[in-house]
Amino acid sequence: MAGFSELIKNFDKTRDYLRDFFIYGSKIRSDFNRKSSRTYDDEKRRAESWIGDYMRYDDSVRGRQVSISVDSGHIPENPLYSAFYSRSFTDNDIRLHFLLLDILSQEERLPLRRIVDLLESEYGFIFEEQTVRNKLREYTDEGIVLAERSGKSLVYSLTKDRADEYLSAVPGLEDAVKFFSEVQSFGVVGNSIMKSLDLKNDLFFIKHNYLMHTLEDLLLPDLLRAIDEHRYITAAVFPGQNSSEKTEREMPLLPMQIFSSAQTGRRYAAGYAPDLRRFVAMRLDNIRSVKVGQVCEDHKRLDESFRKAAARCFGVSFGFSSESAGRSPMRIEFFADPIREYYVIERLQREKRCCTLERTGDHIFTLTADVLDVNEIMHWVKTFIGRIKRVEGGPSSVRQRFYSDIYRMDKMYGGDEDEHIQ
Amino acid sequence: MNIFSELYGAYFRIAAKLLTLGTTDDKTVREAIFRGGFRDSILFLPQKLIPGSEDWGLFRREKDGSLRRVTKNAPPRILTGLQKSWLKAKLSDPRIRLFMEEDALAELERRLSGTVPLYRQEQFRTTDRPTEHDPYSDPEYIANFRKILRAVKDRSILEIGFVSGKKNRIFGSFVMLKMEYSPRNDRFRVYCYQLKGGKISDSGMINIGRIRSVRDTGQVFTEEISMDSYFSSRKCSSPAVIRVTPERNAVERFMLEFASFEKHSVRDPETGEHTVELWYDVHDEIELLIKLLSFGPVIEIMGPERLRLQARDRVRRQVELLEKFDGGWKNDRP
Repeated sequence: MAGFSELIKNFDKTRDYLRDFFIYGSKIRSDFNRKSSRTYDDEKRRAESWIGDYMRYDDSVRGRQVSISVDSGHIPENPLYSAFYSRSFTDNDIRLHFLLLDILSQEERLPLRRIVDLLESEYGFIFEEQTVRNKLREYTDEGIVLAERSGKSLVYSLTKDRADEYLSAVPGLEDAVKFFSEVQSFGVVGNSIMKSLDLKNDLFFIKHNYLMHTLEDLLLPDLLRAIDEHRYITAAVFPGQNSSEKTEREMPLLPMQIFSSAQTGRRYAAGYAPDLRRFVAMRLDNIRSVKVGQVCEDHKRLDESFRKAAARCFGVSFGFSSESAGRSPMRIEFFADPIREYYVIERLQREKRCCTLERTGDHIFTLTADVLDVNEIMHWVKTFIGRIKRVEGGPSSVRQRFYSDIYRMDKMYGGDEDEHIQ
Repeated sequence: MNIFSELYGAYFRIAAKLLTLGTTDDKTVREAIFRGGFRDSILFLPQKLIPGSEDWGLFRREKDGSLRRVTKNAPPRILTGLQKSWLKAKLSDPRIRLFMEEDALAELERRLSGTVPLYRQEQFRTTDRPTEHDPYSDPEYIANFRKILRAVKDRSILEIGFVSGKKNRIFGSFVMLKMEYSPRNDRFRVYCYQLKGGKISDSGMINIGRIRSVRDTGQVFTEEISMDSYFSSRKCSSPAVIRVTPERNAVERFMLEFASFEKHSVRDPETGEHTVELWYDVHDEIELLIKLLSFGPVIEIMGPERLRLQARDRVRRQVELLEKFDGGWKNDRP
């Protein structure tokens, strides 16, 4: 295929496609109508190159659908780390990389002019001083090269830190790197250490490993910088999957914390949205890119309010103040025998988060949820279907939806009328 | 510092590996690309490494046909600023103590004394972290963890006493296969086979936090072990079949929540409904069931029969409880 390159400048598009392959898994070529078919072919080819072993093709009446099917708990390494290893570069980038490393590993503290001379005399490559200076500056930022002032000019040397030496000098570090390279966040950085030393994770599997979310690590450095420096960001948001939006939109946010869900692997930039004048949590997998902007002068006050509000989030939603104002907390009674069904009570205790749980009867345990968005709690409450004795308080719409859901489920699975068993 | 940098890229890595060899040949170059590259790298990379009209000039062709590097030494395996700052961030993670003694931690701390951590724990908040997790700072837990990890590496046979999920005390001989970490529960488990008379009798999983005693028998399990056989011994015989409706954005919510499962989905273009087959560990069936029920009526468990019947029983029991105790049920249900 003419023009195809395995390497890419950025993987915004790739993230978008992988999400569709990974999450939906039932789309055919023409469903990817946001982009050209050429883009589809290239992105599919890249995905095959990285995770070909886990891709699945099914021919349906609508066409061939591409999906990714893998039990992520049964693989030792996140295959999507490959996306991070596919950055494009120029011929001079790779030449200079290995030649500079070679020169600086032989001699300590060389000035730029001497390095340029050595590149020509020892290796036969002629580079402009400016090109070499730029590369040395870049490598100084990456912590590979140290630049020190000597008189009026700078002298360069190589960092003394070596990955192999670290691992041999610090017992247990290798195992730690193997483990941390597979868990959020920035696991890919640990994986890059292992790759440089030809190591493989032969010890750990991660249950319910949400592989796809590793791609969002790309956004985190800018978000974390904005959090530290109290700066606004502008997030470019992918067009919605189910909405009529065809183009991305921009949303300003003052990020204050990264929320993550251990249950779903999803992560969010949580903070103050000036346009909406309230706190929100934006899903990172919906954000294409982040631009760091101005410092917020009112950060202290907003941050205090944010911490108070976050303590009342059951999940990631801050709700709407009009919904929660003046409502009594939600109270849900659960029925369980504390001796025979101790595991139900243990799970309630373990998973209740900011709610309180108390024993209010022989077999009754009452959960009180004074949270900003009670809608979030009901998804979890329904994991206890068969145990819920009574639901009180909170908005009537939430209670009505719960009753309606149970009623519909009863009809759906209803006793003798059940004809759907396969 | 940039995570998405060619410094960590597959092409740079392959070049570094070949430059480490000093002298190489065309065949070795191609093999290195096959092993370390992407699926199509073999189409793009050889001509960049092997001298010709497009090459990078990193190797010279010798008279005997071999390839000699232009550099004088093997490239150093540098730990970059990004990698150091990642390690520094991990120093604040309590789980690092499972792997390293105090003096090793002090040594790492000393080496990274001038490094700024890539992130700080307080910049993140896990919203649904369970209130209980494994006791990472408990000396007994750490000691058990290390014994198990050692046994995973050298396949030594251990005698382990532990408390099961059903609170039974169990004691037996086990061979350790791999460690598993669950971010949801913030717990470690170990995949193992129970041994009786030196032979495999059952596949199992032990929570490290429930171990009460560990003794190394001094024996090593020498038979070959395949993780595929272990996993297939625990896999469901037929997948769960789930009908997912588009109501309340259920398709996206469902697909995201079950993204970690091996699955296959088919979409009905008329209704927008998806039929999804999910493969799961039979020992996790209850966990799967309650997760499915949490979606309410916007999904339906179609099969297998056992799973559907369990859903039906729980829903039936739920209706009975509400009818008996909850006044709102009669007033507010449809």
